[in-house]
Amino acid sequence: MSNNIYLPHLVTIEDIYEEAPDVRSFRLVFKDKALRESFDFKTGQFGLYSAFGLGESTFCIASAPTRKGYIQCTFRRSGRVTGGLSELSIGDTMGFRGPYGNFFPVDEWKGKNLVFIAGGIGLPPVRSVIWNCLDRREEFGDITVVYGARTVADLVYKNELQHWEDRNDVRLIQAVDPGGQTEDWKGKVGFVPTVLEEAAPKAENTVAVTCGPPIMIKFVLKALEKLGFSDDNVYTTLENKMKCGVGKCGRCNVGDIYVCKEGPVYTAAEVKRMYNDF
Amino acid sequence: MADRILKKEDLGRLIASVNAKGGQFIAPALDARQVVFKPVTKAEEVVTDYIVARNSYKELVFPQTEVVADFTIGKHGVDLKGRDVAPQETIVFGARPCEAVSLSSLRAIFTWDYIDEFYTKREDALVVITVACTKADDVCFCTTVELSPETKTGSDIYLKETESGDYIVEAVTDKGRAFIEKHASAFSEGSAKAKALFIPEKIGTIDLKKISARLKDKSHYDDQVWGRLTRKCIGCGACTFVCPTCHCFDITDEGTAFAGERRKNWDACQFDTFTLHASGHNPRHYQYQRWRNRFMCKFNYYPEKFASKGCVGCGRCIRVCPVRLDITEVMEEFSK
Amino acid sequence: MEEILRKKAKELLESGEVKVVIGYGWNRQRTKTTPVFITDAAEADRLVWNPLCVNNLSVYLTRKFKDIQALGKPAIVAKGCDIKNIVVLITEAQFKRDDVYIIGMTCEGTVYRQELWKGELKPEIMPTKCHNCDVRNPHLADFVVGEKSSFTPPETPTGMVFDKIKAIDAKDQAGKWAFWINEFSRCIKCYACRQVCSLCYCERCITEKNMPQWIETSAHPRGNLSWNLTRAMHLVGRCTFCGECERACPVNIPLNLVNQKMIQVVKDAFDFRSGYDEKTHPPMIVFSPDDKDNFIK
Repeated sequence: MSNNIYLPHLVTIEDIYEEAPDVRSFRLVFKDKALRESFDFKTGQFGLYSAFGLGESTFCIASAPTRKGYIQCTFRRSGRVTGGLSELSIGDTMGFRGPYGNFFPVDEWKGKNLVFIAGGIGLPPVRSVIWNCLDRREEFGDITVVYGARTVADLVYKNELQHWEDRNDVRLIQAVDPGGQTEDWKGKVGFVPTVLEEAAPKAENTVAVTCGPPIMIKFVLKALEKLGFSDDNVYTTLENKMKCGVGKCGRCNVGDIYVCKEGPVYTAAEVKRMYNDF
Repeated sequence: MADRILKKEDLGRLIASVNAKGGQFIAPALDARQVVFKPVTKAEEVVTDYIVARNSYKELVFPQTEVVADFTIGKHGVDLKGRDVAPQETIVFGARPCEAVSLSSLRAIFTWDYIDEFYTKREDALVVITVACTKADDVCFCTTVELSPETKTGSDIYLKETESGDYIVEAVTDKGRAFIEKHASAFSEGSAKAKALFIPEKIGTIDLKKISARLKDKSHYDDQVWGRLTRKCIGCGACTFVCPTCHCFDITDEGTAFAGERRKNWDACQFDTFTLHASGHNPRHYQYQRWRNRFMCKFNYYPEKFASKGCVGCGRCIRVCPVRLDITEVMEEFSK
Repeated sequence: MEEILRKKAKELLESGEVKVVIGYGWNRQRTKTTPVFITDAAEADRLVWNPLCVNNLSVYLTRKFKDIQALGKPAIVAKGCDIKNIVVLITEAQFKRDDVYIIGMTCEGTVYRQELWKGELKPEIMPTKCHNCDVRNPHLADFVVGEKSSFTPPETPTGMVFDKIKAIDAKDQAGKWAFWINEFSRCIKCYACRQVCSLCYCERCITEKNMPQWIETSAHPRGNLSWNLTRAMHLVGRCTFCGECERACPVNIPLNLVNQKMIQVVKDAFDFRSGYDEKTHPPMIVFSPDDKDNFIK
């Protein structure tokens, strides 16, 4: 077939990183050398990842488009496909379709301060933006990252968190939910929206990006509103269940909005205009 | 001017001509005490006394299960081959004018930006021959959604029955004209009087414009009316599977540990797992939310987003519903 | 009967004894009945009773319908055959006898499908279950509506389903296989059979369990066979032959044949018929020392 939109590209797992219990990242390279060179995407876009024999699952591309030659995905083992992917080893083959969807308008943010707020497994999509912006650090003002997880163990990208902690051009605030701290935990204890309010990043000339569980996003949006952020400067990414990724299969829609094609990135203002179908 | 006629005794000739030229002829025929669209090879199999076939002929362009790729998993890695479809010419005879309209709706979805060639190739190979209705049952409501047995949109060839059981033939599209030329020996010229068409009465209490306006006003979303009207819905997929415009599907792998197929299978927004996230969160947790989505799809997403008909008024969903949930009753409520 | 039914419903709702009455009402055209949920005594007159009342409303008592459960204690309009399902639900601890108010309807039979109704209930449009019905007088009810029926079912069950089972039993193995493969080949995996069934109340059906994928979701012969056989097996000793699955099936698969055959097998093996006694557990969930088979001893 000249154009089979459901046919994935084959990719090789080049490296595997254990991020947290049941959470791991794959560094993937396309088997097709030409594609490896030409593949391009924008931060915020997603793909469909295949474990052959088990099916496809949707995750964002967690690496930054400024890092060429590979893509990275991070997933939690939770169902049939992610279970199958978790069984794969370095050198194994899997499938990838994408990139799909819209993206964070990073170029429009030049000269602005950036606040990134993520919870648990919601960090991967935000990480793509963070690295994209850090790789172009001089184009932006202050960069603040607020990241929380249920427990210390559940924090993903621990090495990178340490790296961001060590950099003096990033303000990193880490938090775990009450009860999730260890004895030597030096970060905050509390829920992300509360921690965000305490950190009180200034809203003026600032763009906020958030991703996490639906309930967290809901309260983060409220907290940002309290801090004076306008809905047009707050971005989030909606991760709905998807099967096709190309606007056909009919399950990712939030009301009349097809997340796979018109999303997944939206401003809070756009989210508020949607049908209550989350 | 003489009309082009398809004599009832020439229907067999037409079927034979199509079959001889490598095409398949689909027509309403009996299967398990129901009239369904299925391949026929003889005119005697074709049923002419029916309202609409039980199934929608969408399954000819959007099969219930379609293999999109084959893969084998070996020591050296994965071999993956995409499937190609090279559909044979397919004639659907005896479609009704209402359902013929649905193809443009499906096409809108399947060619929206990304083009699903499984669909487009199948549709390109399909010739739709409609037979205008001379009767209806109490759930036909085409006129309520601004269609009628006189609608020709979507038909390649439009037939009207005559008193003697012949058909007056009207080619609507180039594809239809080419089909008639290709199988010219089955058609003749003459003049005949068409049977009167049966135009179902429009349901006076339904107003599509009001429905459209009410659905656009997002405040209806959490209205109790949804729960009240659709509480009886048992959450099966019968309505969606017989619907000529429902297009949802799942993508799933089947096979052994070493080889398998990736399939595109019909799915239904009425199933509780349809939108269930891996985390356990379900944006449409209650059945009324799923039903609301189906209604929104028909009367908001399709018309507003894809400029096409979401509901053609064929009544299949009403006939097939085990609890008799009637979409026109919901339309009526939203016309208030 | 309708008047008494409405009066009773009104009474129950007004007194607050129940919060919802699950019954039958007319569709818009008043040609077919459809389930209605009356929560307001003023709407009790929407309830109807006639031979078109085919649905087994007991499905709405199951946990599949959380929004109905949230309304509060239900009263249900039930024919004897529907009550059998309520009995099974009680024996399987889905709810207690006191959790539901049963308005039992004496019944002289219903139509097999509403489409067959031409204004008169003739034997030929009644399903096999009605011809052999031994619960025309409701066997478990809080209130009974209607004159006592004097109908006695035939000694040996008769009707189309029994005739067809005999015909299939007479086939050899290959013949049986061919028959069922052909019937199941039409299955479109809409799961109407499961959804309409009050005994298919699992929150996560085995078809939806995909680790591993026990039943292939594709509507091909293999997937269809495994689905239909699995469902039949899950109903053994439980199915009451209410016939809802066959009625709901949009492609006319004769599911009554499967289920009635299973009922006969259970009757022969365990001398048990489900749906009659809410205090007796079905054979598949009990161990009895005088079990016919001694594999477990």
